Amino acid sequence: MKTKILIAEDEPLMRERLLAMLAAAWPEADVVLAAENGNDAWDGFLEHEPQVVFLDIRMPGLSGLEVAERIGKAAHIVFVTAYDQYAVDAFDAGVVDYVLKPVQADRLERTIARLRNKLGAAPLDLGDILRQLKSAIPAPKREKMKWIKATVGKQIRLIDVDDVLFFQSDTKYTRVVLAGSEALVRIPLKDLMSGLDPEQFWQIHRCTMVNVNAIAAAERVDAERLQVLLRGCDEKLPVSRTFAHLFRD
Amino acid sequence: MLNRIAEWYDGWEQEQLDVLADPSIAATLPAGYRRYAGQKLAELSPIERQQLREFSITYRGRRLWIALAKLVLAFSAAGLLLSLVLPARYSLMHAVVLANLVGCAGGMALVSVWFNYRKFVSQKLRVLLSFIGFAVVGVLAGAAMSYVSGDKPLDVVLEKLPRALALAGIGVGLLVATPLIIIGALRNRHSEAIALQHQLDAERERMARELSESQLRLLRAQIEPHFLFNTLGAVQQLAEQGAPQAASLTASLIAFLRASMTEMRSDQTSLGAEFKLVEAYLQVMQPRLGERLRYSVSLPEALVSVSVPSMILLTLVENAVKHGIEPALRGGDIHVSARQDGGNIVICVRDTGAGMSAVPGTGVGLENVRRRLQLANGGKASLTLDDIGDGVAAEIVIPFQPVAKQA
Repeated sequence: MKTKILIAEDEPLMRERLLAMLAAAWPEADVVLAAENGNDAWDGFLEHEPQVVFLDIRMPGLSGLEVAERIGKAAHIVFVTAYDQYAVDAFDAGVVDYVLKPVQADRLERTIARLRNKLGAAPLDLGDILRQLKSAIPAPKREKMKWIKATVGKQIRLIDVDDVLFFQSDTKYTRVVLAGSEALVRIPLKDLMSGLDPEQFWQIHRCTMVNVNAIAAAERVDAERLQVLLRGCDEKLPVSRTFAHLFRD
Repeated sequence: MLNRIAEWYDGWEQEQLDVLADPSIAATLPAGYRRYAGQKLAELSPIERQQLREFSITYRGRRLWIALAKLVLAFSAAGLLLSLVLPARYSLMHAVVLANLVGCAGGMALVSVWFNYRKFVSQKLRVLLSFIGFAVVGVLAGAAMSYVSGDKPLDVVLEKLPRALALAGIGVGLLVATPLIIIGALRNRHSEAIALQHQLDAERERMARELSESQLRLLRAQIEPHFLFNTLGAVQQLAEQGAPQAASLTASLIAFLRASMTEMRSDQTSLGAEFKLVEAYLQVMQPRLGERLRYSVSLPEALVSVSVPSMILLTLVENAVKHGIEPALRGGDIHVSARQDGGNIVICVRDTGAGMSAVPGTGVGLENVRRRLQLANGGKASLTLDDIGDGVAAEIVIPFQPVAKQA
């Protein structure tokens, strides 16, 4: 089976460069997605479940550090950075893989050689290093969303985020479900997500973010699968394998 | 014995000079009269201390005594003259003692007003009254003495007393206190001028420091690793693809670096030069950000030579890219423009990027722009940042100055 790689880099030329160099240095790998921001990277990760992820640290939407935090131990992560001395020091200390921008062939080849050796083993847990870096590298402030504007017929409804039971992506739209009613908004879920408080809204599936306060229970469907039951709504929401750990003791 | 007294005197003098130079050491002096004297000196204003210190160094050690001896000689000569002019009233001895007493009293008063003018100016009436009070007490004491010594009978003394009192009050009040107060006022004015000078010097120094700081910041922005590495990476990629844009991106980088070097050397620049710098910067950023950055720059021909503080427009545009376009998922537009509005020039940088909430809180760059505007135009210039719904508008308003100091 080919190794699946996802890359995330916001500058188009740098993205092309990384793609071209990966193709040359690791021809048997398959780049499943070249994302141009953190939100697409995270969504693409859930969709493709790659083994290796190359992440730029500074990106629109979720930063590389935030995406890495969400991925956790589910993939081998390589950071791509132009110059973050603090990060580079931490990576060196924590044996984290990284390449410096502009990416040069010899350095990338060495990184790939290391990755090939590591592929059989479990990925590193970067939790501590990421927490340390997030406090040291100022991420652009993102205001937490308080209201959502949804068009219903000729009206624009203002929905208080706290009233939302869950969000569910529906092709280009996002379903916003409340107790007793629902609305559609034109923003894709992956982009809504970065404005939501991750403590309040848990992602339980690539297509679902659920308000923790609305969860009544989680129940087993079979040996593998879980689903979430809600207060104030009869719908049952499937929990994907990636997120099952949220409901384990 | 004499040596020990001289040693003690020199030691104390040195200590007082030290306190004048650095008042904080007054508290460390041995308790007693020395600390008391030291603390009195420490309470003076910095300018008074400086003046007193200069005086003390000029008249240090033996020189003070020589100067005093010269004064005594001069007063004695005045006494001699007095006894020659009015031989009937004053004997020689009488006149010399009187001249020395009056001279020393006047000299001491002069020295005290010379170095303690603040009090003389702020408490004129009290000073005047205390002088008159002393004179009255003196006259009364003199009268009492002449009665006790049996020189004159009581009725003669009492008869002369009101006149002597009036003379003493008016004479001392007008002839001694008033000149002293005038001298005090002059000294005070002089000291205020010195204080103002100190303040101006400090202000000028601060301005120079701020200018070099902002120049340093620009230098750092240019060679900011992210900017340089990412730009060079883009050039490298274009070159490897054999794309013709490799040459034009290199040309834009060169233009930007050269323009900013020129701007860095001057405090003021023309609006035309500033717009060229900004355009070069945007031309570098555009191929890097691709479709996410769209921009337009428009400067009316009439405003090309308007003089503005250098680098401030670049700071605003850099902010718009860094905090507006780069963090925005879909990127955005930047529009840079200038227009004349009555007696003002309005320079505007609008972006439709991530909006206000994405701007990190420190705002060092904006603070710097504000200070530069303040320094160059006083209170007449301003910088405002507005949330315009789908982005941010930064607006600089400066008074119209048509002629550029530097092209």
